[in-house]
Amino acid sequence: MRSPDRAWLLRKELHELTASRAFWLLLLATGALVAHAFSDSLEVYAQASGAGGGAAALAQGLNPLDGIIVPTLGAYDLVATLLLPFVVIRLFAIEKQTGALPIVLQLPGRFSDVIVAKAIALLIGWMAAGMAGALAIVVWRAGGGHVHAAELWTVALGHLLRGFLTIGIGAAAAAISASAASAAILALAFTIGTWAVDYIAAGRGGVFARFAEYTPEAALRVFERGELRAGTVTVLLLLGFAGLVAATIWMREGVAVPRRARAALIALLVLGIAAAGADQWRWSHDTSEDRRNSFAAGDERVLRAIRQPLTVTAYLAAEDPRLADLERGVLAKLRRTMPDVRVVYAASERSEIFAAPGNHYGEVWYELGGRREMLRSTTEPIVLEVIYKLAGVPAPAASDAPAYPGYPLATTVPGAGLPFFAAWFIIVCVAWWLIRRPRSRRPAAS
Amino acid sequence: MTAPLLEIHGLSRRYGQLRALSDVSCTVRDGEILGLIGPNGSGKSTLFQCVAGVLPADAGTVLHQGSSLAPEHRKDVLFYLPDGARPWPDERVSWTLRFMEGVFGDPTGRRDRAIAALALEPLLDARLDTLSKGQLRRVLLALALVTPQPILLLDEPFDGLDLRQVRDVMDVLRAEARAGRTLFLSIHQLGDAARVCDRLVLLSGGKVVGEGTLDELRARAGVQQGALEEVFLALT
Repeated sequence: MRSPDRAWLLRKELHELTASRAFWLLLLATGALVAHAFSDSLEVYAQASGAGGGAAALAQGLNPLDGIIVPTLGAYDLVATLLLPFVVIRLFAIEKQTGALPIVLQLPGRFSDVIVAKAIALLIGWMAAGMAGALAIVVWRAGGGHVHAAELWTVALGHLLRGFLTIGIGAAAAAISASAASAAILALAFTIGTWAVDYIAAGRGGVFARFAEYTPEAALRVFERGELRAGTVTVLLLLGFAGLVAATIWMREGVAVPRRARAALIALLVLGIAAAGADQWRWSHDTSEDRRNSFAAGDERVLRAIRQPLTVTAYLAAEDPRLADLERGVLAKLRRTMPDVRVVYAASERSEIFAAPGNHYGEVWYELGGRREMLRSTTEPIVLEVIYKLAGVPAPAASDAPAYPGYPLATTVPGAGLPFFAAWFIIVCVAWWLIRRPRSRRPAAS
Repeated sequence: MTAPLLEIHGLSRRYGQLRALSDVSCTVRDGEILGLIGPNGSGKSTLFQCVAGVLPADAGTVLHQGSSLAPEHRKDVLFYLPDGARPWPDERVSWTLRFMEGVFGDPTGRRDRAIAALALEPLLDARLDTLSKGQLRRVLLALALVTPQPILLLDEPFDGLDLRQVRDVMDVLRAEARAGRTLFLSIHQLGDAARVCDRLVLLSGGKVVGEGTLDELRARAGVQQGALEEVFLALT
């Protein structure tokens, strides 16, 4: 039989998506959440910039990425967690619920084409929801706010991938479950499970911490820091793809259950191995305007030239704030910069915070070229000084690059808040009516 | 002698401890209207699902013109219209038919013919979830008629239709068969089956208890002039 016109499959799924009330309610709720987050962050940003008449924060500390973009677009994390799964499940489960799955299974071509069409339609829907965030940024810019395009796109990409992951999870849940309600429970259980992994990782470190780097919340934080990390992007894509593959395999009800289970396990195993491999992919680009994920250019040049492996052994428990400082301020940057960095978390038990002196707790050892040095400080310049000493290279001259200026904005943006939401509400309702408006002809009696 | 269009050999299917199909075999000849009849729970829908490859059989094979037809390739030669489906409830009739036409690629105007034959013109702008049972049945039949496969498996095609509509749909199906399509219909109303089908397969308790024309079945049942009801009762 001929291959199907895939455009028809996509058109059908877009039709189904826009026919769903859940989708339009998601758009409305997204508008409300983005409007609330945007208004709040605007108010705080204006006050920090001195709008309230009080002392303003240092200009360098006023960063639109942290002050406006991340909190405003943060509404999408909530939407992706609590609302999007229902829209996804509805689109993937509709044929099972209505008894139409046998018809869909008999459409020409591969069944995976149907699943891909559903995923693309949902991504388009997710991007349509993203227009509320775009509208907020336009309002911010119109009011004189500053936007660094690269870091804005990085955060937007993070939310797009977050949505893709939710699509994968929802697809798998809808395929496995007998009803949409069961699928919703399954998707919610998965989300709560990732929260549990986050929670455990925060206290235990080790394998859990490694695993927890790819929970939706943790992965999103990478993008929200203005870092474009190849490993994170790839793992999120693979996880979302794994959900779609599982759905493709499981919804082919003409195949016996043991065969489907075997195929799903093999596919998930292969994708799991690929994800583990992608985790090792260290390429990363710092898109933040204030270069928060990078050392100074001179330091990076010197560090890149050090070819010997650097081993860092940290005797700090996972929930110790000093380890968080070290991780964010030094280790993450070292991993991005030096060709060979190995970090050993030697104190993974929380009880070691309270251990007796003499067990090395609080020490961080740096080993390079057979030489070792211990530090208790987690401050970047001190650590770099030790690394240069161990490597036997001179420290670079202090950078004369201009410091991040900061972008205070002491005035509130007119048109934000309620009018913003009203505009979004009207746009969504008009679009809803245009797409689903009743036709003039009515069905004749049977 | 040419091989039958479709041969079903030894199909079996269990649902847990329940044996829904037990070693079912029958043949479908080119261009005929074959009726699958049997009481509720006799395994008619299960047989259709297994033949269509949308439900795995525990055992058995399906041959197409003498060659084995793997479940994943059955959709290349047959289309199965399930009973009880209420697909895409928010879509309009016109869009649903256009979608089937588009996805199957119909250059021959099958959609327009199906709309005319099943008198669907007044329903085209209606959403599927607003249709009555009979209206929906006609729309589903139209979906099946839009497909290009040479064999159609229609599960309860007359369910929900009134007397006049049953007669009209029978005419449509006969015209479809005359045009070269082969129809395999699952029908629980024996009177309807006797009127429209060239041959019949009697299914009871998941087993074939008879296959042939009404006269052949009468002879097998030892009923000289009886209606299909009497033949069925005699054989089951």
